[in-house]
Amino acid sequence: MAKEVLVVAEQVDGIIANVTLELLGEGKKLAHKLDAPLSCFILGHNIDSQVDRVIAAGADKVYVADHPELAEYKTLPYRRVIIDEINTWSTPPHTMLMGSTTSGRDLAPRIAAYFETGLTADTIELDIGPYEHKAGVDKSKIGYFPECLYANRPSFGESLKARILGPWKDPQMATIRPGVFPLPEMVSKPRSEAAKIKNVEVKLEESDHRVRISKILREAGSKIDITEADVIIAGGFGLGSIEGFKLLQELANCFENSVVAASRKAVDLGWITYPYQVGQTGKTVRPKIYIACGISGALQHRVGMQKSDLIIAINKDPDAAIFSFAHHGIVGDLFHVIPEMISQIKASKKEPAFA
Amino acid sequence: MNKDLNIYVLIKQVPDTRSKAGVNADGTIDRAKAGKMLNPFDAFAMQAAIDAKAMGGPNSKITAVTMGPPPAIAILYQALEHGIDKACILSDRKLAASDTLATAYALSMTLEYVQAKDGPADLVFCGLQTTDGDTAQVGPEICERMDLTQITYCEGFEIRDNLVHARKVIEGGAMEVEADLPALITIANSYNRLEHKTFRGAKFVQEVKRNEAIQKQFVEIIDLADCKAEDSRCGLPGSPTIVSATWKIGTVGGSCKMHQGKSVEELVGEVVNINQETIKEFAKA
Repeated sequence: MAKEVLVVAEQVDGIIANVTLELLGEGKKLAHKLDAPLSCFILGHNIDSQVDRVIAAGADKVYVADHPELAEYKTLPYRRVIIDEINTWSTPPHTMLMGSTTSGRDLAPRIAAYFETGLTADTIELDIGPYEHKAGVDKSKIGYFPECLYANRPSFGESLKARILGPWKDPQMATIRPGVFPLPEMVSKPRSEAAKIKNVEVKLEESDHRVRISKILREAGSKIDITEADVIIAGGFGLGSIEGFKLLQELANCFENSVVAASRKAVDLGWITYPYQVGQTGKTVRPKIYIACGISGALQHRVGMQKSDLIIAINKDPDAAIFSFAHHGIVGDLFHVIPEMISQIKASKKEPAFA
Repeated sequence: MNKDLNIYVLIKQVPDTRSKAGVNADGTIDRAKAGKMLNPFDAFAMQAAIDAKAMGGPNSKITAVTMGPPPAIAILYQALEHGIDKACILSDRKLAASDTLATAYALSMTLEYVQAKDGPADLVFCGLQTTDGDTAQVGPEICERMDLTQITYCEGFEIRDNLVHARKVIEGGAMEVEADLPALITIANSYNRLEHKTFRGAKFVQEVKRNEAIQKQFVEIIDLADCKAEDSRCGLPGSPTIVSATWKIGTVGGSCKMHQGKSVEELVGEVVNINQETIKEFAKA
């Protein structure tokens, strides 16, 4: 059972999340290059109906762990079931992919640490390719590896993309944020001819129940979804303080279906909360209008918004990276530019349509 | 009534991206020249540790632990100024280029070292992630190594009857959990902001810096040999991943229409006029 590309599925209320389908779409390409099957591991309760969806998304094999304790994601039970199953294989999967979500980022490092293998977080591109390690501090690393998982991600705060790989040990692991890869075309197939399905035995231990769920509040955050907005007014470090977001909100109020969002720096500083973050470690958005205010345009931000239809950037630094990929750049103090923009947009609506 | 809590907080010094110091013309970072700061997420973790101490018995204590080059000791002083009781730094050249797995190994060996002296942890706090690595992996990897109860993305908690009652962020909402001690909790930045330095803490740091004997007692500097960590599991040899290539992202190159050097009214007017159809389509009536 060698060389599988394994996608660990994520489900909410028994429905496979889009990020899993996206990973199956991308995983299929990797599986082709490796000449390996694409498999999907589903954990949940009463999830049989979801098997057809992952098959339609391209899975050649499906591992199903169905148990009441798995209905909602919990670190230890999920960790146990996945590790126990892989340990029955003659070799671990070549590649293992998970969504870079709150649960994927909770679980993936547990699996990576157990297998003492590498894990690349928030990957933006995946591929399979060769690597030759010639010299180095550690001689045990030297060798030629024809089939490595390439996981590319922006390097910290820079306009650099880094390729991270670790072919010395399988599984080679990566997490990928929702929306980075497109949804695959869904092709339904009858199960008999489509895929191998294995029902995985679930054997939990007493120590797996150290965290007990007392309440789930899914309503609380579901109202905020910046990916659904037509117009996004985003603020960065250039706003200077939490107060700057009030000005952005005023501009957002000029538009229908609009929302205020932020770069990571603004979120790190606590000016606005994480659900509003755009970028590699936040959300990937493609609104009709994106107005970036005081955002320098680091690659980490760019990968989350570069597909917006119209990008207007406001920054007082004419050399800011954001001006290399915005459609319109205004060089100026956002505290003067935004109020002017608000008044001009309001005025433009007052003009009669047929003068 | 809760027992006395033995609390550890893991913190890291990161490059300060708030200033332009150390940023090269080509967008790369000169880490030697860049300013340094406490990882912003760790400020929330420090506040969580301080809050936990207030919930524990009267002899509860907090030890801050970091790993990094000697100048990173600055963030340990910062921690003491905020009322953290003790600190320990693991500093060793062999740690250079550690990826998350090697970092988690080194930090768990450090934790085992301090636990042997100061008692087993009831709680270990970490920031959700660092701003330079952005992985959020080290906390869970330490849990796997040390078999601690894991709570990530925590935005609030209480300790009642020696159990953790925590609220954590999940996709599309939040979850409340009850968990057993000892636990490692990673703190999201929706947690309470770090309070100001205490007068007592600031005075204590002055004393620690002046008096070598006190310094040795409260700010311990150790290397890999001290914590019995194997060299082969640290730094490059202990890292299962490497960066095999980096490349500069091509700019779209001149496709951005620049508006500058005029009055704000004119600049905004240009942009609004050119895009008036799009703007009118989405502007509120």
